[in-house]
Amino acid sequence: MDRVARLLLIEDDAATAEEVLGDLRGRGHEVAWAATGPDGATAARSGPWDAIILDRMLPGLEGLALLRDLRGAGNRTPALVLSALGDVDERIRGLRAGGDDYLGKPFVLGELAARIEALLRRPTDTRETVLRVGSLELDLVAGNGRRGLRNLDLLPRELKLLEYLMRRPGQVVTRAMMFEEVWNYRFAPKSNLIDVHVGRLRRKLEVEGEPILIHNVRGEGFTLTPDA
Amino acid sequence: MPRLILSFAFRWALGIAVWSTLLSLLLFAFVYWQTAAFMQNELAQVLRHEARYAAREPAKAVNRIETWISEDLHSVHFAGLFGADGTRLAGNLDARPADLPLDGEVHRIGAQVAIAGRRLNEELWSAAVALSDGSIVVVAHDTDEIDRAKATVIRALGLALVPTLAFSILGGLLLAGRAKRRLASTEAAVARVMRGDLRQRLPVGDAGDEFDRLARDVNGMLDEIERLVEEVRGVGDAVAHDLRTPLTRLRLRLERGRDQARDLDELREAVDQGLAWIDQTLEMVTAVLRIGEIEHGRRCAAFAPVDLGLVASEAAELFEPLAEDKGIVLAMEVDGGMPPVEGDRSLIFEAVSNLLDNAIKFTPPGGKVKVGLIYRDGKAVIFIEDTGSGIAASERDQVFKRFYRAERARQTQGNGLGLGLVAAIAKLHGFSLTVVDGIDGGCRFELGCQMAAGHLDATQYSCALPVVEATEKVDPTTSNLLQEVEHGIAKYQWQMRAPIQRTRTDPNTGWDLNDSKPVDLQGQQAPNQNDGSSKR
Repeated sequence: MDRVARLLLIEDDAATAEEVLGDLRGRGHEVAWAATGPDGATAARSGPWDAIILDRMLPGLEGLALLRDLRGAGNRTPALVLSALGDVDERIRGLRAGGDDYLGKPFVLGELAARIEALLRRPTDTRETVLRVGSLELDLVAGNGRRGLRNLDLLPRELKLLEYLMRRPGQVVTRAMMFEEVWNYRFAPKSNLIDVHVGRLRRKLEVEGEPILIHNVRGEGFTLTPDA
Repeated sequence: MPRLILSFAFRWALGIAVWSTLLSLLLFAFVYWQTAAFMQNELAQVLRHEARYAAREPAKAVNRIETWISEDLHSVHFAGLFGADGTRLAGNLDARPADLPLDGEVHRIGAQVAIAGRRLNEELWSAAVALSDGSIVVVAHDTDEIDRAKATVIRALGLALVPTLAFSILGGLLLAGRAKRRLASTEAAVARVMRGDLRQRLPVGDAGDEFDRLARDVNGMLDEIERLVEEVRGVGDAVAHDLRTPLTRLRLRLERGRDQARDLDELREAVDQGLAWIDQTLEMVTAVLRIGEIEHGRRCAAFAPVDLGLVASEAAELFEPLAEDKGIVLAMEVDGGMPPVEGDRSLIFEAVSNLLDNAIKFTPPGGKVKVGLIYRDGKAVIFIEDTGSGIAASERDQVFKRFYRAERARQTQGNGLGLGLVAAIAKLHGFSLTVVDGIDGGCRFELGCQMAAGHLDATQYSCALPVVEATEKVDPTTSNLLQEVEHGIAKYQWQMRAPIQRTRTDPNTGWDLNDSKPVDLQGQQAPNQNDGSSKR
């Protein structure tokens, strides 16, 4: 991040909150914590925040009701809903209430951090049809990619995967995020499944001692870094 | 006493007695009414006849009257012939009853009569007719006879009513007592079941009546409940076992790591290994919860038309690189033009993915896995076929029963819940799920999706409601317990991960990516990959 992000965590379980706070602060964010629904609502209104992380089951005021109130009052702060209710229907309910992302508990801290990062850095211009990251260039209309002068022979799914990564340069994306966005399915795939796809893409992007573009972030996911 | 009154048997006995008494009363009333009317009619007929007979020949009227009176043995016949001025000409009536109309019809009337020289007031049934010469003939009959007959009938009724009532009550009590004895033995059995002894069964008689049928049905239900409870218990045990094994292993590894690590890297290695095991455990817990969630059928709301061909090819595409890396050919065979089926796209994809994952896992390098969609007998059939080691025919029924057969399967790769999840998804959709012989000794899993005749009408598809068997497998207690465990493990996992991460992160810049060495993607695949994968 170029600047410190101000985040608000609304979570009633102190142990969970402590871990989340520790992790996000460790990543350089400024995080405030509210433990009840009403406190959370007050804190959320007293912003500005860069993003709000809120649990669904809160004492005093249900998370989704809080979010609905907030959206009703015109507050557009990106919000990530946490919930032990991992059900797809619950997720849909969460997004309908105005959540920008939904993460079922239990989650890995890296997953939360990556999703927060994604919320903070919304892809700027999604209408762009030619993407450039370092020496990589991807023409979405023609459906081909190049690294420097070398043409990349990409399959349709690899194209989508690369597009997804190139729209988020320098940002960690988790396997689940890729599976949701590139494959458009929502369940926990076998952990190595996505890796194999990324591995294939990497073999096409990085040949013969070229600088590495896609990095594996241990325990979290992958990130595409510009090489120049 | 109130208990007796409240008792089902007593109320029935009383009810039956009251009812049969009412019926007897009705019957008697009917008989009485019919008898009295008959006797009265007969008498009226005779009286009318006599009166008219006398009227036809005024000259012989006196004779007729005398005959009528003399035929009488019980002094119940009365008659009189009166002149136009009211004087008595013949007969044993003193005077013509003043208010008796001269219409030849029979009326009940009081009159002064002479019987054996005495004057008496009698109630009489009488008919009067005016003769052509102006005199009046009256023919009468005592009412006593009929009144006595009526009284007799009523007395008989009264006498019969008491024993009837008594016998009905007795019969009712006997019947109710018998029912009560049967009920008591059933009640005792049910009480034992309620105390938790699910092996108890209700006594079934050999009469084959409704009661026996009911008892048999209840016993069938108990069989089913017992089976389900056993299964739930099996789930609980299996889950507990599955948790204890990796947790024990984890504990040992962490302990060893803490005591023996010589530098940060070694400590980190121990923690990483621990994390991998935790992930594996979490995966199992998540799978159990997910099966429960699917079986509770909360997801029917998300049903929409699904293109099975697309789902199958997307799944194949997802697994193709994995198969290729293992040297397995992944082939596709999708019949085009198949109409969509109603379902949850993501769940069907998950089911197909699980089957594909299994097929690839159990197929040796150089083998072949085929995924496809065909139309057969009104069904769209998704099949996944492999050249792996196959499943013995005797085991085929067992593979979908998770947790039970799990013991052996869970010693190998994964948690043995994959097929259980597939079965749950199939059940939710009302799909059939079978396993048959595949190519070269491998096996072939088939998901049969029934298509309605006019298969474009989405309303014809209904969400297969979960049956009891499905809904109860992961009971709320286990579910809650698992959620607790899941959260506990997750928190612990964060704590393990956090300090190490924090040691290498710069609080101002977030984490340093250059520090995380790029890892060879294949080599990095979780350590649990090596746990063995040979047997199904």
